[in-house]
Amino acid sequence: MNALQRISPVGLSGTPLKTEARDHWQVVLEYQDEGQGPYLVDLSHRNRLDLQSSDLASKKPFGMTVPDIPGRSLMDKGILANRMNRTQVSLYHLDGERPDLPAEPEYTDVTEATLFIALIGAPVFSICEKLTALDFMAPDRQPPFLYQGPFAHVPCQMVTLNRDAAQAGLVLTCSRGYGRDMIHAIMGAGEEFGLRPAGESRFTQWFQSL
Amino acid sequence: MMNRFDHLPTLKIDGNTKIPFEYKGKEYFGVQGDTVATALYANGVRMFARSLKYHRPRGLYSLDGECSNTLMEVDGIPNVRTENTLLKSGMVIKEQNVKGSAAYDLLGFLDKLDWAMPAGFYYHTMHKPAMIWPLAMRQIRKAAGIGKLAPDFQMPGTYDEIYPTADVCVLGGGPAGMSAALAAAEQGLRVILMEARPWLGGHFDYRTAAYKDGQTLHDRAAQLAGEVEKADNIRVFTHTSMVGAYNNNLITGFQIGQDADPFDERYFEIRATAVVVATGCIERALIFDNNERPGVMQANCALRLANTYGLLPGSKAIFSVGHDLGLEAALTLHDLGLAVACIADVREDGQDEGLLTALRERGITVIRGWVAARAHGKQVKKATLTSIDGTATQTLDCDLLVASAGLTPVTGALTVAQAKLRYDNHTGYFLPTELPANMHAAGRMLGLDSGPAIEASGRQAGLQAARDCGTDVDAAIRAVRTEREHLSGPARGTKFVTAPVKGRKSFICFDEDTTIKNVKQAIDKGFDVPELIKRFSGAGLGPGQGGIPGHNLPLYTAKYQALSDITIRPTTVRPPLVPTRIATYAGAQHTMFKQTPMDAMQRRDGGIFRNIGVWQRARYFSEDFTCQAEIENVRKNAGMLDGSTLGKFRIHGPDALKALQRVYVSDMAKVKAGRVKYSAMCNDDGCVIDDGVVVKLADNDYYLTTSTARAGQTVEWVRYHTRYDGWDFALVNLTDSLGVINLSGPNAREVLAKVVDIEVTNEAFGFAEYKEFKIREAIPVRAMRLGFVGELSYELHVPSSYMQSVWIMLKEAGKEFTIRNFGVEAQNVLRMEKGHIILGQESEQRTNLLDVGLGFLWDRHNAAAKKVGAVALRQAESDPSRLKLVGFKMENNGRAPRDGAVIVDQAIRGYVCTARDSFTLKEAVGMALVDADLAKVGTRLAFFEDECDGKLIYGEVVKMPFYDPKGKRMKM
Repeated sequence: MNALQRISPVGLSGTPLKTEARDHWQVVLEYQDEGQGPYLVDLSHRNRLDLQSSDLASKKPFGMTVPDIPGRSLMDKGILANRMNRTQVSLYHLDGERPDLPAEPEYTDVTEATLFIALIGAPVFSICEKLTALDFMAPDRQPPFLYQGPFAHVPCQMVTLNRDAAQAGLVLTCSRGYGRDMIHAIMGAGEEFGLRPAGESRFTQWFQSL
Repeated sequence: MMNRFDHLPTLKIDGNTKIPFEYKGKEYFGVQGDTVATALYANGVRMFARSLKYHRPRGLYSLDGECSNTLMEVDGIPNVRTENTLLKSGMVIKEQNVKGSAAYDLLGFLDKLDWAMPAGFYYHTMHKPAMIWPLAMRQIRKAAGIGKLAPDFQMPGTYDEIYPTADVCVLGGGPAGMSAALAAAEQGLRVILMEARPWLGGHFDYRTAAYKDGQTLHDRAAQLAGEVEKADNIRVFTHTSMVGAYNNNLITGFQIGQDADPFDERYFEIRATAVVVATGCIERALIFDNNERPGVMQANCALRLANTYGLLPGSKAIFSVGHDLGLEAALTLHDLGLAVACIADVREDGQDEGLLTALRERGITVIRGWVAARAHGKQVKKATLTSIDGTATQTLDCDLLVASAGLTPVTGALTVAQAKLRYDNHTGYFLPTELPANMHAAGRMLGLDSGPAIEASGRQAGLQAARDCGTDVDAAIRAVRTEREHLSGPARGTKFVTAPVKGRKSFICFDEDTTIKNVKQAIDKGFDVPELIKRFSGAGLGPGQGGIPGHNLPLYTAKYQALSDITIRPTTVRPPLVPTRIATYAGAQHTMFKQTPMDAMQRRDGGIFRNIGVWQRARYFSEDFTCQAEIENVRKNAGMLDGSTLGKFRIHGPDALKALQRVYVSDMAKVKAGRVKYSAMCNDDGCVIDDGVVVKLADNDYYLTTSTARAGQTVEWVRYHTRYDGWDFALVNLTDSLGVINLSGPNAREVLAKVVDIEVTNEAFGFAEYKEFKIREAIPVRAMRLGFVGELSYELHVPSSYMQSVWIMLKEAGKEFTIRNFGVEAQNVLRMEKGHIILGQESEQRTNLLDVGLGFLWDRHNAAAKKVGAVALRQAESDPSRLKLVGFKMENNGRAPRDGAVIVDQAIRGYVCTARDSFTLKEAVGMALVDADLAKVGTRLAFFEDECDGKLIYGEVVKMPFYDPKGKRMKM
């Protein structure tokens, strides 16, 4: 009988050096020749939740307060909460052990609905500039902040976590079905900057340094 | 190859680095920094191409691609602007629009037939008798345009795109543009500076005249460029042309890549809060007989050939100019070794005294109030000069005629941004009078001539742009205004357009071979404004985008009509201002389609994919596009279809049921736990737009599916139709979250039973039931008993990441039943045989719920729900004129008509939705929408297909479904 395996929508061309089996995902912790950055890291195995309520202010997902204004994000204990609109928040699990999912009906597990990647390294916003007109360096935005808009012509959520040159990085989700073409577009745009696939450890190390 | 200067500080070439290229089959050499045109010029080429209509020889006239004179075929690509294209090693260059060569063109005789081709001749000839027109049209089309491209030509190279944002975007990297950029950057703003040439400096860059305090213009340009490059917040894009301006200061353009760049051309879309236009001036063409002959060139062209490219443009020159830049060029070129026979200056006075003195000291004659009247020779050998009143003439030998009427601002960027221009009598320019919000003009394009004044103008515009961005710069702006009061204002310009000649061979537009005589002909026929003249005579319609005729056309039009005031404006220019390759617009060409979780595995299994909406789906699994084997396997054994593209949603919250009642036609309160309910959505016209199933997960918590095509709009659709109700519900799009496996066929139950732990007998899991279970205690599955293809079927909704695992399990389990994939086309035939419809195939925009026989879904009694489309459906119920969906089979066991074939008698009476030769039924059947009076069973239908040459095929209306009418197989 074949072993169960969960397949990520993100297919990267690198050779995995270290992997870890996690809830039937084969998570790549490190790739061979990851280079000096920038990096593209597949985080699709990490949980994402949709929270919708007409009374968001009263909600405390994983004990945290939700951002009060659409476009704002908050980060707490490895969970990133992004206010999408009047009634909706997206929640990303970025670091630490996978938390227990809330049982209330307002939450929907949407981990499978999207691909989830991180782009980290100094030139990531130059890469993004080739794929979207969204202004990641807008002075009126302070990280972390959420953009919902087209990236490579596909509707995406993008959360800029840091934009200092040394620690620049963002996470991006879009419909899972666009996995192949989205990664192709990003890797193509990043080629001139030396964009390479990197394992989850690279992301964790970067995230914990923020 | 000509000798090059190597001592000039202004040079942009490296004479020591030779670059080989091929021209007309022979190898030549240019040098590093050459354009294709200057490399050819250095190798003695003077005739680059032939003109569009008259096949007149054409040579180097400008160096910024202002006309089509030097368009050539480079590396197989026609219409390359060789003046702007940097030479690369190994380039293969050919002449275009010639029969023979540019020097000896067999079609050159057309130049003698200009009498037969007056302005707009094709509008009033070749129409009578009417039979002539198709023949003439073919010949005209053959003759029109230049360059040839095979239909299957693929543009080589790498094309990229970029969408930067800036606070201030400055168009033009000359002294005004650089000053504007620096002023804005000093306020901490993000600035983008675009320059069409490969370097900054504008008209300062190639001139060695004095700037001030002993500094030359060239040195000053270098100084400013150095400051710009040091500023971290100025992004400089050289070799980047602006091509369009749109609302909210969206600026488009493209950049030509250098050797180190990873692209050949790169498309730009810049979003800026404010824009500074500092695009400077070009020379206004001087119009006289044969004013476009090889050997006639603009003053800047001659000067830049020497100072930028190290090439002396000729050996003996005559200058016919109307501004001091022409005098400066004559002086500089004389000092470099060019013999200057004389200078004819159309101005009677107003010349710079210093320049006149310097020319006098060198023994160069300046004749004021004189102008070139005619260039002689296929390539200039001598020129006739005349006094501007035409009373006196003299003819002198020369091989170069430098001709320029004056300067004129480059206003294209302003015009496409909807700025208003008005003629200014002092400068002789069309100047902006109304600029769009947050747009500012600066520099020489405003008529300024002195270097410090140009820079101050740029600084002021840069500060004004900074103010648009919210910075407090009012004091700085006041200071610059005060500074400008002490600097020179706009210089007086010449209004001179044409020498006193009849104009038969005096060209106002080089691209379209439009002469002054043609313009007169147009005006005489009543086309008395430039917009009409342009369309009637073609002036300004060529690839130079009106560069040469641009401001001459309104000036001449006013002059010819003796208008007391020049209220006429230049013709409208539109993007792209600079010829832009389609490949450049296409950019990186990222193909963005969605793949299902089964995509890779289905490709390995031989799936033949098609783009269907935003998805790529496996349509066939063999080269037999009738899908016979796939269909028969589903009917007899078991098959698996990847249905992951179905729209899938969760709706929850206190008012979820109310929302469902609003958008679905059925009574959704009847959705029972553990059961599947099929229903449809209509629009306000009662037209059916979607169908799918709904299951109840908990109180006010439902899971629903939509068609693939509607998935993208469903959330907005539900929200839109409940927008005034204030209902509290949430919708979550799970389309990509869950993959769908459609397991169908008489053996489907046996296959499923081997994989799952639940009871799957007909009693335990009956038709239209819904179950949730886990496979191997890990994979949560939502399962529905459905029958779209008319067989026992299970629709398994599986988390996308587990799809491949479940698919493999089913495939293994189904081996003994010869389970195999089936694709979208097989599904299409199977469901058609069963009489199940696909919206979009058995319906179109006007088709309502009743037309397709789904009226039974409609809950007509629930008025309180205000169901979308209910009002229209009530009206449509008694409308006898609507089309009806019917089934048909073909007469005499004939073949099926093609989808979309029209049903006719004396009129069009309907059309075929889907029809196939059914292997199951052993006859051709289909579904069609027909007029109601044709819907009766037994009615004969006549089908008209594309290109059937009048041969109709026939069928008759029969009852549906064709297959298993009692539905026993899907309920087995």
